[in-house]
Amino acid sequence: MIPFILRRLLFLILVLFGVSVLIFGILMTFSPERRAAAYVTTPQQAKDIPNLVRQYGLDDPVYVQYVRWMGEVITGNLGWSLVAARPVGEAFWRYFPITLELNLFASPLIIWLGIWLGTQSAIHRNTAFDHSARVFAIVGWSLPTFLFALVLLMVFYGYFRMFPPGILDDSLSLYIMDRPDAFVRYTGMYTIDGLLNGMPAVSLDALRHLVLPVTTQVIVVVALLMRVMRSGMIEELSKDYVVPARAKGADLKTVHLAHARKNALIPVVTVAGQLVGLSMEGSIAVEVVFNRQGMGWWLAESATQLDMPVLMAMCLFMGVVFVLTNLTIDILYAAIDPRIRLA
Amino acid sequence: MLNLYEPLVFFKGSSTDGFISVLAAEVPTLENGGISADGKTYTFEIRKGVKFHEGGDLTPEDVVYSFKRNMIADPDGGPQWMILEALTGNGSTRDSDGKIIPGVFETIDKAVELDGDTVVFHLPKPYPPFMGILAYASSVILDKEWAMAQGCWDGDIANAAQYNNPAPGHEPLQKIANGTGAFRMKSWEPSRQFVFERFDGYWGGKPSIETAIFKYVKEWSTRKLMLQNGDADRVLVDTPYIPEVEATTGLRLYQMPQLAVTAACLCQKVNPAGNPNIGSGKLDGDGIPPDFFADMDIRKAFLHAFDRETYKTDVFNGLVVMPTSPNIEGLPYHKDVPVYEFDLEKSAEHLKKAFEGQVWDKGFSMVLTHNTGNEMREAAAHMLAENIMSLNPKFRIEVRNVDWKDYLVQYRNFMYPIFIIGWGADYADPHNFLYTFMHSQGVYGRYMTYKNDEVDRLCTEGIETADFTKRAEVYGRLQDIWYEDAVALPLYQQIDVRAYRDNVKGFVPHPMFNQEWENLKLLSK
Repeated sequence: MIPFILRRLLFLILVLFGVSVLIFGILMTFSPERRAAAYVTTPQQAKDIPNLVRQYGLDDPVYVQYVRWMGEVITGNLGWSLVAARPVGEAFWRYFPITLELNLFASPLIIWLGIWLGTQSAIHRNTAFDHSARVFAIVGWSLPTFLFALVLLMVFYGYFRMFPPGILDDSLSLYIMDRPDAFVRYTGMYTIDGLLNGMPAVSLDALRHLVLPVTTQVIVVVALLMRVMRSGMIEELSKDYVVPARAKGADLKTVHLAHARKNALIPVVTVAGQLVGLSMEGSIAVEVVFNRQGMGWWLAESATQLDMPVLMAMCLFMGVVFVLTNLTIDILYAAIDPRIRLA
Repeated sequence: MLNLYEPLVFFKGSSTDGFISVLAAEVPTLENGGISADGKTYTFEIRKGVKFHEGGDLTPEDVVYSFKRNMIADPDGGPQWMILEALTGNGSTRDSDGKIIPGVFETIDKAVELDGDTVVFHLPKPYPPFMGILAYASSVILDKEWAMAQGCWDGDIANAAQYNNPAPGHEPLQKIANGTGAFRMKSWEPSRQFVFERFDGYWGGKPSIETAIFKYVKEWSTRKLMLQNGDADRVLVDTPYIPEVEATTGLRLYQMPQLAVTAACLCQKVNPAGNPNIGSGKLDGDGIPPDFFADMDIRKAFLHAFDRETYKTDVFNGLVVMPTSPNIEGLPYHKDVPVYEFDLEKSAEHLKKAFEGQVWDKGFSMVLTHNTGNEMREAAAHMLAENIMSLNPKFRIEVRNVDWKDYLVQYRNFMYPIFIIGWGADYADPHNFLYTFMHSQGVYGRYMTYKNDEVDRLCTEGIETADFTKRAEVYGRLQDIWYEDAVALPLYQQIDVRAYRDNVKGFVPHPMFNQEWENLKLLSK
């Protein structure tokens, strides 16, 4: 297995090179003036566009610009983010934990709920439960995330005043600011850092702020996983081994959960892996509505403002995430189905 | 910025030309001798007993250093061009090729001088908006020793070049602050929140508010809910949401016309090279010639085709000032000049006369652009296009939206026959607006390729004299010429609406400051 993993990691370098060339090429289709305009915000500043083109060598040949950028990246300098007003690397560690925290809670729920709903739907096929679950799935999948998030916010925050937007309550936020030595940002995620610093109130409040974003994420995304699981289970339950298994005395629960569900999990692992990987770039709608400035928000703002260093860095990051996700999926395949050997 | 750092002087109440002293001991005037009779020397006595947040004492040396350091840094896209223009006669430390102008740092060095306990500014020519520039956020005072210790200019003019135009992220004071303001920076998380904390060593009255948090909340619905629930004391209200805010209870609303104007600028010499916005580039029914708007009749026809009243009521619910020239309400020497009233018959008459009748006979086709997401400009573009097209079936105007940054690049390449764009005051003086829109080298005048020698001469005369009567005459005439030459179509002067929770008191509206600014020391709850 180790040679397999090493091969995949070597493959990562090729992927990153390919992705960076592709994205760089696309960004170069914007004129040097347009790329320089990213640095200005008002008509007053527009007079400096020619200077900016010159200062940053934006009219140099494409390969010169690429080599220059690559040289900087190799030395660990990912550039300056205009949107974040910080170096890209530093900004990344501010935004990524926000997205990761949301996914840490949402992803297990999505996977568990998707598998459970899909399994139960298949087992109780064409019953009221199955119909309800499918309607729930279709509604969830069809709902525009932005709209659903807004409705949740209006009801639970606007009307019931229960789950506020943001990341942490202002009073707690100020309390932490006043005690920089007592509260260490180990992970950048308040739910975990609160516990690590012995301040459970911080963790609880951060959880309170996560309820609506996690609910939105789960309801909108779970449908896909549930559908895949349901189809897989139905297919497995119709296979020849099910009747002999029952004839040999295996109870229904064993047949469903130990045999059929295990076999049906292979496509689910693929989809779940991709979903988790994709979720690392954040959900723009969830982050905007619930005012959690994470990766999705950063990427959207950077794309709008043509913040090139950020766009390039995000592409590299997503390249890494997807190669690692696929690697993990392959390893999980082998774990779920011993017939699959990694070589 | 102005909550953390302080300038020498600041605007008095809502006034744009009255000042109060801040770090200056008193406001210099002709009467008290602070301003010389020729308007070229300004002398400031510096307030005593003022502390910086980090404990340093304010001295006149700090003031001299701050102005020099700010001008030496002069980053691309920054606001230092204003003070540079006033003190050196040139709005930049670099030439058009980006190279440092020889001798510019020596000029800066001599322009601000320490004279005993006073600071003296030497202007090459009288510059009437100078006091307004000193009240701006780019004229704030730093602690010299502290700034040098952080890596700012070392105080030696011979080394100035190495501190000029720092790259993004290389400005030492970008993330830290040490001013004399009533509030200090407690924390700054870019694009998330800024926390201000009352500075107990403040020289002035103790502010009522102890802590203030500014949050970046992009989504309007989220902002509105925070205001309704009392989790926010004030939120930024965009124009389309004003009726929603007016219908909400428990709020206190303030209206303030902004010193900003938006106009549809008519380019008299469009770039014909591969330009899809002028179709065939000829007057053959499928395009317009590059000099289409150089014809006065065409310009007047377009101006007559804009229905100002409907625009005001339908788009702004009446909450807008309809400008008659770029010298908008609130600026000195403002006057209402005539406008080309909405009259489609007159519009048709002008179009029949234009290009010896060819426009009317052959028709034309062009593209009218506006920047994406600006609903007010989009509405103006559609109204104008539809009214013109209603005159003759051979007239075709396609309205397109373009990303804002693309828009900036394109109009500067003379690609748009009409570009709709706004201008906000850098300082409250007609020069900042009339030069911009009318001078052949103004930011918009240049890209309209509008040139009138009398206008250019008047613009220079207006800024080079401090004589009130002379300036009134010059700017009055310029506003008349705006109408006579039908230079462009002024669209709107926005009225900002601020929505506070009704327990928040003390806000003083000011036309120079938009909703993103808050003078915290005035507020109480």
